[in-house]
Amino acid sequence: MYALILLLGLVWIYLSADENAASFAGTPAAPQRNFLAPDFSLPTTDGETMRLSDFRGQAVLVNLWATWCPPCRAEMPAIEKVYNEYKDEGFVVLAIDMTYQDKLSSVPPFVQEHELTFPILLDETGETARAYQLRSLPSSFFIDRNGIIREVVIGGPMAEALLRTRVEEILK
Amino acid sequence: MLTLFRTLFAPPRDIILLVAALWIGLALAEKRSERHGVSKDALNNLTFYSLFGFLIGGRILFALTNYSAFAESPLNIFSLNIDLFDTASGFLVAALVGFAYGKKLNLPFWGALDALTPILAFLAIGLHLSHLAAGTAFGAPTNLPWGIELWNATRHPTQIYELIAALIIFGIIWFRKSLFTPGIVFLEFVALTAGARLFLEAFRGDSVLVFGEFRLAQIIAWAILCVVFFFLSEYSTNHSSRSDLRLQ
Repeated sequence: MYALILLLGLVWIYLSADENAASFAGTPAAPQRNFLAPDFSLPTTDGETMRLSDFRGQAVLVNLWATWCPPCRAEMPAIEKVYNEYKDEGFVVLAIDMTYQDKLSSVPPFVQEHELTFPILLDETGETARAYQLRSLPSSFFIDRNGIIREVVIGGPMAEALLRTRVEEILK
Repeated sequence: MLTLFRTLFAPPRDIILLVAALWIGLALAEKRSERHGVSKDALNNLTFYSLFGFLIGGRILFALTNYSAFAESPLNIFSLNIDLFDTASGFLVAALVGFAYGKKLNLPFWGALDALTPILAFLAIGLHLSHLAAGTAFGAPTNLPWGIELWNATRHPTQIYELIAALIIFGIIWFRKSLFTPGIVFLEFVALTAGARLFLEAFRGDSVLVFGEFRLAQIIAWAILCVVFFFLSEYSTNHSSRSDLRLQ
């Protein structure tokens, strides 16, 4: 009986073998590990427009946040610190304020208070939040040089050590 | 319904499902532990020391393997970030702590594993619910009518398949009649869980592959089945003379 089950198991392993089973090539972009990161084009607080796909070839942290969100506020100093440590190696932070559920006027004082030097993008319509299926703030997506999401961290605040381990992974 | 569930238990709230599963599993396991020669107190302590080992071990070994990331901010070892964690190391340390505690109390080896089985079975239910909430452990794209929309495609609801399997396995373990052979409950649970994984992994969309096309989880599950079947066949041949091992 046991031998028969084991034999059937081997047959099933053989039948369900599929070289494309772990391939995400050609699948739609999605905010999940190993998928292509959904692209977006958003205005910054400086009036520029930034598109995620313009940063292909660099390691990117997309951080969704809002000024009223305590863990978002708490993790900003760590993000700034780690950004400064790794920016020369090709690490970029795109911090997207959920402006559609935040006060636009609160953003510049927040940036000044935390002395943030990375770009702050504004999601005024909620389109990027929908593309990233935002369910909790903050949400962070670590994207490698090929535009693939390698790690998703939902909630926060993220510790510096966590940021470093994830950034080193996407810089590889 | 599914959307409501996923919204309610969106990460990081999905951890609530695991904690609830542990609590329910422990409450159920307590009801039966004395049948397996393990007192309620011993079962509770065994569970909590192992859990403590899991949490501490997983964090410390994560910090050791990512030493450079912690060098500048060593206090991050106390961070509440659950992502700063090595799950495999956590399980290893939990098993070692559980073994050491069992040895200290001279608990019956197989009896203790049998007593812990309802907790493990309920944790499996909680784990699949948490996967469903988080959208992880997702299925391959499908055209079947019961496919669910996930990550911008219609996919096999593998989290639901695995949840149903875990519920059935819990039912088999909980309502089985003969409990006289120490270790049988645990071994049956492991065999059923490995069998379910071997079968259901075929519908997953996030399998890790080895040798180009074979799914690693299926191979591991098959190897586990081999080991469990070895023990089960040993038990059936030596049934009359079988007694439990004492951890001493």
